[in-house]
Amino acid sequence: MNCGQARNIFGAYWDDELTQAEREWLESHFTSCASCRRDYDQLTQTLEAVTHLPRVEVSAGFADRVLVQARRRSPVMDRLPVAGRRWIPITATAALLAVLGGMVMQWSGMPLAPRRPAAPVALQQPVLVEPRPATPLEAARARSQTPDASLMAGGQEVTDSLFDHSEDVEFILDPVTLRKGRAHTVVRLQPEPARGQQAVITF
Amino acid sequence: MGRVAEGDERAFTELVRRFQGRVTNLISRVLNDREASEDLAQEVFVRVFVHRRNYRRGSKFSTWLFTIAANLAKNEIRRRMRRRNWFSLDALQEMLGDSTSHLADPTEGKEKSLMRQQLQEAVGKAIASVPEKYRLALVLRDIEGFAYEEIGEMLSIPGGTVRSRINRARGILKRKLTPLMRREGMT
Repeated sequence: MNCGQARNIFGAYWDDELTQAEREWLESHFTSCASCRRDYDQLTQTLEAVTHLPRVEVSAGFADRVLVQARRRSPVMDRLPVAGRRWIPITATAALLAVLGGMVMQWSGMPLAPRRPAAPVALQQPVLVEPRPATPLEAARARSQTPDASLMAGGQEVTDSLFDHSEDVEFILDPVTLRKGRAHTVVRLQPEPARGQQAVITF
Repeated sequence: MGRVAEGDERAFTELVRRFQGRVTNLISRVLNDREASEDLAQEVFVRVFVHRRNYRRGSKFSTWLFTIAANLAKNEIRRRMRRRNWFSLDALQEMLGDSTSHLADPTEGKEKSLMRQQLQEAVGKAIASVPEKYRLALVLRDIEGFAYEEIGEMLSIPGGTVRSRINRARGILKRKLTPLMRREGMT
């Protein structure tokens, strides 16, 4: 063995892990090689300095502080065991099957839902509502300028609002018919063409 | 540990008291930071309690405990390295330089206790300057006294790798500390 081989086993010699033969050889080498002896002395001094470093002591109450932290960090689930979330895989499987089923049906040309004839759509004409004038004078002016609201409503029945809106009432007096001393006036409550029932006023 | 696994807090406190010194010391020597070591040691024990059900019965508790400690220390070293060059060689040189000039100054005196303190600080810094993967193995072996096989288990490396890492770390330390010791007349 040479110095290089001797230096390779310095660590094992320090750890007392050499065989008896190796140890005896190294010790005999030290007696003849001052350089290896010095190298090993430097190593032992270094390691002694390391191993003799003062131990770090913890401050008082360390264990109690650890316990407080441990309690805080210990999950509540740990103390109260609950059943696992089994609904998650079941729901996921059901969703997957539904998606796959839809894809297969689409691929095979099957309709996803039975087709029904389209139901007739009731079309309703929009009802235009004329803005209410503020005064009877304005109402009269508006009537003279714009067509009748009932005409604009497309012949639909207009809600009777005669008694609520006096300014909207229009009396059209037909020629007075005299019948044996009595005067009969025919009043059309609703103008042409939406003819309503006639009322007869007897004077 | 069996009682701790069942949530026995008194058993856990006993366990903490038994190992608190060794765990704190390990972290302190690896980081060379006394203040941070206690906080990190606390975190080690908290993790032991939180993950107590992961402990395999029959395996050695100290191996499991120091595996957690070594991993946390390793993470902390890497976190600090990302932030700045925490364990720079310049800092060590500066420390060694200061130490020698201080000791060489006749006005300051050469009290033995002061010398010892200076040397310990220098050794602490020298350990902290060893590359992380060698440093952990060195501290576990030469300061905490674990067997090579246990260290291999803690660091998840084969026994041969543990040996070579420790030898490398010892060589690095020797090269760094010998000049200082020589100046102080220790060699």
